[in-house]
Amino acid sequence: MMLFGRRRKNPIRIANKSVADWKYATCGYCSVGCSIEVGVDAAGKPVTTRGVGGADVNRGKLCIKGLTQAKIFAAPGRGSAPKTRDRTFDDWQRTDWNSALDRVAAEFQGIQARHGRDAVAVISTGQIMTEEFYTLGKLVRGVIGTNNYDGNTTLCMASAVSGYKRSFGSDGPPGCYGDFDHTQCLLAFGSNLPEQHPIIYWRLKEALEKRKFPVIVVDPRVTMFAQFADIHLPVTPGTDLVLLNSLCHVILEDGLQDEAWIRAHTDGFEEFAETVAAYDPATAARICGIDEDTIRTVARLYGKADAAMAIWTMGINQSTHGSDGVCAINNLNLITGNIGKPGGTSLSITGQCNAMGTREWSACSGLPGYRQLENPAHREEVGRFWNVDPEFFPKRRGLFQTDIFPAIETGQIKALWVIGTNPLTSMPNTPRIRKTLANLEFCVVQDAYEDVETADYAHVYLPASVWAEKEGCFTNTERRVNLTRAVTAPFANSKPDHWIFTSLARRWPKAAAMHWPGTPEATFEEMKQLSKGRGRNLDISGMTYAKIEAQRGIQWPMREGDEHGSPRLYADGVFPHPDGRAKLLALPYIENNERPDSEFPFWLNSGRVVEHFHTRTKTGKVGDCNKHSPIPYMEMNPDAADRLGVEHMGYARLVSRRGDAVVMVQRTQRVPNDMVFIPFHFHDCVNRLTLGLLDPHSRQPAFKQCAVRIESVDQDEAATRDVALRSF
Amino acid sequence: MIPTRADEPDYAKLADATAQTLNRYGNPIQLLPDGDNGVSLRINGDAGIGDNPNRTRQHAFHFTADNCIGCHACEAACSEKNDLPPHLSFRSVGYVEGGTYPDYTRINISMACNHCDDPVCLKGCPTRAYTKHPEYGAVIQDPDICFGCGYCTWVCPYNAPQLDPMAGQVEKCNMCVDRLEVGLKPACVSACVGNALDFGVVENVPERRKQIDARIPGFPDPNITKANIRFQHTRQAPHEVTRPDSALVKYRDDPQTGFRPVVDPREGVEKQWNWARLSSRENPLVAFTLAVQAAVGAFATTFVAGQASTLVALAALVLVGLGMAASTAHLGKTLRFYRGFNNLRHSNLSREALATVFFGAAVGLYLISDLAGWPSVALGFGAAAVVAGIATIYYMVRCYLIPARPFWNHWQTAAAFVGASLALGGWIGLALVPGWQSQLVWTIVAGLGLEVAGLVGQARDMRTAEHEGAVSHYVQTTTFGQVYRLRNGLLLGNLVLICALAVAGVTHPGPWLAAALVGMGSALVSRALFYVVVVPTTMPGAFFWKNKGFEKHARDIGLAANPAVGVAPNDH
Repeated sequence: MMLFGRRRKNPIRIANKSVADWKYATCGYCSVGCSIEVGVDAAGKPVTTRGVGGADVNRGKLCIKGLTQAKIFAAPGRGSAPKTRDRTFDDWQRTDWNSALDRVAAEFQGIQARHGRDAVAVISTGQIMTEEFYTLGKLVRGVIGTNNYDGNTTLCMASAVSGYKRSFGSDGPPGCYGDFDHTQCLLAFGSNLPEQHPIIYWRLKEALEKRKFPVIVVDPRVTMFAQFADIHLPVTPGTDLVLLNSLCHVILEDGLQDEAWIRAHTDGFEEFAETVAAYDPATAARICGIDEDTIRTVARLYGKADAAMAIWTMGINQSTHGSDGVCAINNLNLITGNIGKPGGTSLSITGQCNAMGTREWSACSGLPGYRQLENPAHREEVGRFWNVDPEFFPKRRGLFQTDIFPAIETGQIKALWVIGTNPLTSMPNTPRIRKTLANLEFCVVQDAYEDVETADYAHVYLPASVWAEKEGCFTNTERRVNLTRAVTAPFANSKPDHWIFTSLARRWPKAAAMHWPGTPEATFEEMKQLSKGRGRNLDISGMTYAKIEAQRGIQWPMREGDEHGSPRLYADGVFPHPDGRAKLLALPYIENNERPDSEFPFWLNSGRVVEHFHTRTKTGKVGDCNKHSPIPYMEMNPDAADRLGVEHMGYARLVSRRGDAVVMVQRTQRVPNDMVFIPFHFHDCVNRLTLGLLDPHSRQPAFKQCAVRIESVDQDEAATRDVALRSF
Repeated sequence: MIPTRADEPDYAKLADATAQTLNRYGNPIQLLPDGDNGVSLRINGDAGIGDNPNRTRQHAFHFTADNCIGCHACEAACSEKNDLPPHLSFRSVGYVEGGTYPDYTRINISMACNHCDDPVCLKGCPTRAYTKHPEYGAVIQDPDICFGCGYCTWVCPYNAPQLDPMAGQVEKCNMCVDRLEVGLKPACVSACVGNALDFGVVENVPERRKQIDARIPGFPDPNITKANIRFQHTRQAPHEVTRPDSALVKYRDDPQTGFRPVVDPREGVEKQWNWARLSSRENPLVAFTLAVQAAVGAFATTFVAGQASTLVALAALVLVGLGMAASTAHLGKTLRFYRGFNNLRHSNLSREALATVFFGAAVGLYLISDLAGWPSVALGFGAAAVVAGIATIYYMVRCYLIPARPFWNHWQTAAAFVGASLALGGWIGLALVPGWQSQLVWTIVAGLGLEVAGLVGQARDMRTAEHEGAVSHYVQTTTFGQVYRLRNGLLLGNLVLICALAVAGVTHPGPWLAAALVGMGSALVSRALFYVVVVPTTMPGAFFWKNKGFEKHARDIGLAANPAVGVAPNDH
């Protein structure tokens, strides 16, 4: 044993980040909702982060993005001052906040006067705080008064929202992560937990190591999750509904359904049963690509489990029948009595940190607190509460994000306000979006990063403060409201979105008659008043900032006087539909996707990688994230690559009916012979190819199903272009 | 002691209730006598001593390949804690994959330092920057001592020491001894999201685990260094797994020995030139080794033959000087060159450096006494120079006999170095010793013959080898196939030509000059090839991160200028 020279050694030097204080926050990336502490040095500068040990969600863990999140505050590309320009090809001029906000208000008012109230559109995000969403909703619905107002939900969770509403009568995921500790069977659709939601995966893994239960993963790609599953169903893209109908078919055929529960809590069974009768496994196998025996095996496993749960992410939502897919998952759980009980649930695994907050409180699809524009009582209630004439509200929901762009294209919408989102990268068919944005008379981009690509088409840029430079709440996938404290001062002359919304509101005379709380906490107190009411599940009136921080997040409903939140919805079997019953829905499958053909022989699939978030405005600048995929690439099957002479680590060009993209090639058997996979995070890449047919209910685009062909490309040209495109 | 927190989860806490006595290599796990709790590690100057009851037992990482999801949380936690720039990482996750869709398997491997029983990094380091502490058995490197020669990165089979080309120094995993001292597992382990990484006293089976194997597909032979890493890998693996990075290695299952590295002939069989790629960051070492070998050969062969001359001594001195300058230029921190002699006890590199200095000094003193007209003193220094020269070549060879670099770990290295000494030394003698010294011609022939024999033996052994040496051979016969063929032709042709000239008694300088130039050229090409084709035993990288091919591409096209790409813009 060599113990050598130690007497004369220097002391061991280990990096010390000089953390003077740890401040409480909720992770600002995805919707898992991890409690995170930001370590600040003596000067108040964030230097590191750690998971909060006693938080139920993450129990001390963080993923790669959370662990490196202290680096986003001073990342390159942060907006330091408001900027303005007359035409999008002019140089930006830095300006002060008053001038910038005056101009925004004047342009919106002018365009509304000339073209009508709805000629101004607002597209927001899932990244800002719930109190900010609520304030934005008050501004848009109560002051500006446009009905063309939507959040990023439409690209992400709209199908889940729509499916929950259709099946149960209201949005709101009924389950929680704790269900992993009780379930006897887990079925995951189009959800790659280890990459998309690592900490939820860890919770599942912990549950599995303590008590093994079968895990079934439905995914066309052999993700790590698929690999570690007991059964992997490599489904044909876009055919989950067929598989789900067939699972229900087998369950009914074998009599595994919970008759008493169906009778007590649902209706629509007859029509539903009639429809699934057509989806016998032999028929379904030919469409969805899963053999009939496996369908029966899975159906019986699920049907016989005392408690079974289904989770899903974009594999279901981003589909032409995304909403139907969600309803079909709900059907499966309703007929087996797996709603509202420990281990038995439908649980959508949401995307952005506050995707839930925007659904709950931003009023983009209706009015705050899951209220609907279509409901006169709701209009009346909110109008009275805000001191806005209820007649000012539209009587039905306006355009979804995916319909706002076509309305810009055709000239009905003249002005656009984009908040914390980046449609120039994230929308399908970005060549079309580019042309569309050029049609705008006036465009405002409000974002923490001035290099967000959509700002190319903006006339005013408003630098927002990011994440924990502000205070407020996020709601996570399991309805847990969790708090972020302002851990550091806003970057340069950036401002919290809450401040921007209330300051802009003051540019409209009618706002003077309304109440605009000065702080997020006061806003939260106002929201609590609006969350009360008989039969309301989205009730946060028992919460306070202090309680939320002390309990490391609280799941709604938490009614006034309650000491704790509620892990599950519908435990009593009462659903928010007017008759209190859940709906079993007949969901015939309609084949309408673009499919590979002789001209475009490959399926194009897209998705996330663990090291990046959305359009890379944050993670693209954090070296410890970005280095794991600094340039766009595609996974391609080596057998297919051999046929086309495409080399590992070479560049290839993909062409679809919309446009083209150049990526580096990673040859791997993870994808089938007739499919390629490209991460969606990169600008001017996969979404130049995607078609994005819209779901008829949720208007969510089918990002994951279209057809491409692959061509060789000059390697040096491709490399040069790669460098030019990847400045971050 | 670093601060702890009240709500620290149990999974982050060290929890070894018992310990074995001996590890699988037969070494004691308890590193100090019973009752001796070791000394303070003086972490950042703190004089405290942790109260961990297992403080003086060898600790080890445990990696459950069955569970690793490749999420990089361990790497991020490590880099965050150690405040590393993006192009560095003490821990990296790579993977191997195999099978055919959908029967596809990817095995992720997260690897840092294995804090070996027999730390070859410590033994190799000429500056004594490494210490193996009896506290936790941690092998810790001190960047403030390191002069950035990178030799530890050559000898470590697991890529643990990280040469930072920007800072010109090596850094590596410190086992998070600051956390261990307060009873916490290392940052990477505590951050693991797949429940794959664990840590504790070596040979203990962690909670919920059932296997403590020392091997896994893609992991080099643990016996080289008696690595303190244990694995669980019970899932079915494909019979052959490939790497996503540019290393032309794949691993094939062998019922007896487990997974063995074999050539992945992805680059085809076409023989190419690739002259430009012969130039590498090791160019200074090409110059150093050739110059010193020539100097030793020239002085020793002429001196032993009784034909020592002032000019030869002067040439040897100049060559040694140039060689030392080149090797110093190769250091990350050249001003710390004097630390190269710090580890004579263990490091062949230190011994080589000292022998070279002795050789140079003896030749210098020989020269002075020769010029001063003291022949007997000169004889003494000359003899000393010969001894030092032989020692120089001996330790130079030993420096390259590295188990982690199988292509070098062959008697060809000795044949090449001694052969070059004889051949190059012979040419210098022939040119500078007055009169025609025909015996020097046979010295050259012997040198070339030795090199040819070494190359033949190496080619024969590497072709069928089940290690990275086979990959080196594949690379030298394809990527550099034309250069390899040309060098072989020149070497053999020159050997025949020299013999013919000698037998024919040709004394005209023209043909001899031509032979000498060809000889020097082939020596240069040989040595450049020696450095560029070596393939170390490495941990598999990923597609971008820890992929040498992508790093080169990113540098070539300018992508590396962005620090967030995680590739140092220059590799030297």
